[in-house]
Amino acid sequence: MKNVFETIFFTEILQGLGITLSHMFKKPVTYRYPFEATPIQDRFRGIQYIKTHADGRTKCVGCYLCQKVCPSECIHIETDCGPNGERLIRKYELDLSRCIYCGYCEEVCPVDAIHMGWEWNTVASDRSGYVINMKTLSQNYKDNVEGNWKNKHLKKKLVEGVQQ
Amino acid sequence: MVTVKIDGKEVQVAPNTLILDAAKEAGVSIPTLCHDSRLNPFGACRVCLVEQVGNPKLQAACTTPVTDKMEIVTRSEKLSRVRKTAIELLLINHPLDCPVCDKGGECTLQDLTYEVGVTKVRFDAKPNDTPVDHTNPFIERDIDRCVLCGRCVRVCDEVVNIQAISFLNRGTDTIIGTSFEQPWNCEYCGQCISVCPVGSLNNRIYLFKNRPWNLDRVKSVCGLCSCGCTVDIDYEGNEVFRMKESPEEGINHGYMCAKGRFGFEFINSIKRESEAVVKAGGESKKVSFNEAVEVAVEKLKKVKDTAGADAIAVVVSPRLTNEEAFLAGKLAKDVLGTSNLFSTESNEVYPEATLEEVENSDCVTVLNIDVTESNPILGLAVRHAARKNTAPLAVFYPGYTALRRVSKNFVTGNPDEVRAAMESYAAAVAGASNDYSALAAKLTNAERPVVVFDPYNKADVKIAQDIKKACAKVKIVPAKSKNNSVGIVDMGFGAKCATEFAKGLESGKFKAVIVLGENLSARSVWTKSASKAAGLELLLVTDPFMSETAAMANVYIPVATFAEKSGSFTNLEGRVQSIEKAVDKGVNTDACVVSALAKGLGAQLPADVSAVRGMIEKEVPLYSGINWDGGVVSYPYVFAGEVAATDGKAKGKGKFFLYPASLRLHSGSFTRWSPDLAKVYGEPMLEIGVEDAKELGIKSNDRVKVKGEGFEGEFLVEIEKKVSKGCIALPEDFVATAGIFCNGKSLRADIVK
Repeated sequence: MKNVFETIFFTEILQGLGITLSHMFKKPVTYRYPFEATPIQDRFRGIQYIKTHADGRTKCVGCYLCQKVCPSECIHIETDCGPNGERLIRKYELDLSRCIYCGYCEEVCPVDAIHMGWEWNTVASDRSGYVINMKTLSQNYKDNVEGNWKNKHLKKKLVEGVQQ
Repeated sequence: MVTVKIDGKEVQVAPNTLILDAAKEAGVSIPTLCHDSRLNPFGACRVCLVEQVGNPKLQAACTTPVTDKMEIVTRSEKLSRVRKTAIELLLINHPLDCPVCDKGGECTLQDLTYEVGVTKVRFDAKPNDTPVDHTNPFIERDIDRCVLCGRCVRVCDEVVNIQAISFLNRGTDTIIGTSFEQPWNCEYCGQCISVCPVGSLNNRIYLFKNRPWNLDRVKSVCGLCSCGCTVDIDYEGNEVFRMKESPEEGINHGYMCAKGRFGFEFINSIKRESEAVVKAGGESKKVSFNEAVEVAVEKLKKVKDTAGADAIAVVVSPRLTNEEAFLAGKLAKDVLGTSNLFSTESNEVYPEATLEEVENSDCVTVLNIDVTESNPILGLAVRHAARKNTAPLAVFYPGYTALRRVSKNFVTGNPDEVRAAMESYAAAVAGASNDYSALAAKLTNAERPVVVFDPYNKADVKIAQDIKKACAKVKIVPAKSKNNSVGIVDMGFGAKCATEFAKGLESGKFKAVIVLGENLSARSVWTKSASKAAGLELLLVTDPFMSETAAMANVYIPVATFAEKSGSFTNLEGRVQSIEKAVDKGVNTDACVVSALAKGLGAQLPADVSAVRGMIEKEVPLYSGINWDGGVVSYPYVFAGEVAATDGKAKGKGKFFLYPASLRLHSGSFTRWSPDLAKVYGEPMLEIGVEDAKELGIKSNDRVKVKGEGFEGEFLVEIEKKVSKGCIALPEDFVATAGIFCNGKSLRADIVK
């Protein structure tokens, strides 16, 4: 009896149309990349930044642990003794073309200096910009804090996450 | 022998063995922090506590000797709690700055913390925060990190015998420091750095440059003085980061001196040359290695054709390896056909006693040499004999040296008085009765007497020979100066007198000279005639640096230092030890230069170490079947023949006696390129006694003129209370002073302000 009713009045089709209709009023789940920004999760691991103290000095102490732990060997550090016997970082280089964004450097850092950021766009027409140094890494921190994303898609990313 | 049971394993050990050593025998490891097997037991850290069955008290394994049927437990619940607490207590005041501490990665405290599993400190952690002490040019002292194990204090006292540092204050205020907290000024041997288990004493040359896990390591032999210390060369890529001791290994037992520990920086020097230079018509041009060799070969051929093979001379430096010196000899004799092989060394005297024999000697005599500066590890051996064996130590030297602390018989005075004293001492040994009879009796009555002397001073060699002749059981130690001073003689570069080369240069007999690594201008025998070398048809100089002689050369080829080549050195005992290549600075070795020259001249000489060693074993009888890793060459004689009696009296006229001082912090002309050593001691300093300085009204760091018969020079003054009245001293081996000591070893001079 029920079957006859369903056959005569196309209830299943209407059900299907109902679902379709309900989706018409929902927000779309797809993004029209590259015209539209894709969301970035809080725990996304993008290009690193290195935190600085309030006076602009880097928090990094040059302990070489990130260099040691890096599985793709993309970090290169050179340290020396400064004029007053302090530890001096002569060179801190990170090769983004080698980095696999595993986040081990962030994990191992004993002074909470290096972090994975949300910026991810490294596309360039040549490779010269891939090796970034302490200056860029500190600037990345500033950009992350201030929300100066190079990437338009990141505009909405919360700044508080970085400031923590 | 007594039987001990350690963790259920029974071992037989000699009575009075420490529990720690017995455990090692049984294959049981006990953690230690303050223990060093070379030092007396101390028991400061309580980390090595063990349980003795039947004894309610815990025993420190590093201080307690075993008794028969002792039963020891090293691992138990109670012990791990005790050890953990000991470490936790140490960590109360220890700042946890491991990321910036140079010791991080090779720190005993760090390892122990992991081993016992301390994850949090139960006590109120109060890390100290006192400023770091930088008064010592080579050693950084951070007393905050100190765990007061006392190893530095003990090594400075027991081994080096300088007592520069000690415990200050009492109880919780105890720190390691200098007396009355004066600036830290010592011999700079750095033994304290090598024994420090934490990052309290650090090497300032290596400070913050790298971390231990980045460094690769080769075990090699130090290439500075002729002691032949086993060292570890730590490098990353092509840069040497530090030279450190191999713990408790080698003839040096893991001890090193300031030169070896802090003077390696010349290897990385940016002042090193990388390209060969050829001078033609007053113009110098940078050329490739092959081009330079071609030019040299052309000129050699020309000289050989026009003036004969006798117009060619080969000079080698004692810095070369045995293999290179042998090849140079082959090139000269077989390829060029000349017998003009020269070096500063001579085969008049060969080594006899080993360093071990010096250490175990029961009577040591040191004749007119400051061994603690010239050959520091030999100096340690002498101190060991005097301190640990309480061997009577007689020292003859114009001024007091560091041996004064251990010597009851220190004969000093002006050089003439010292010479007279040494002569009467030698006569007393031979049986004469004079003031030194009692001292000589100690030598003749001893079972294993040793005499240390300076083989470069003819008058001293004569005295040593007289002593040896009178008392045959005396073993002699000629304190040679450079790393392979003995080896190049064995390879045939000691047969001709060095003065013959000077004469040949003066008379114009030599038209082509090949100088391998030597700096003619800085050697007192050659300095006068060195300028003649500039006008030669060919002056081929190989040197890592543009030395004074290299600057005169018409063909200059940069070469490798000892860290960049393999081979072997023969040290002052006659011990052959292999060196290993650590880094590559992109320059050729002397062996390559010789081999390329031979090839150009139409002969074949291998540059490969193993091939050359095969040739040496065949052609040098002394080295046939030698163990290249520590074999001692047995020499046929000690003294070649009767040493001619020379008048050792001071030459010339003047108010002061001038004698060659030991090279402080340096080993010849090589280490002068080390920026850190040069900072402390960069140019020759005129040492003068306090009284004389006062009389003349001169202060430290004044510049004064020294004038004598046939020489004159201006030097910085260093007031040194060890120097006797009426004496002044200058170091040899500097270009400025070589011109003075070419007149004689003992001179008279005046000081003109």
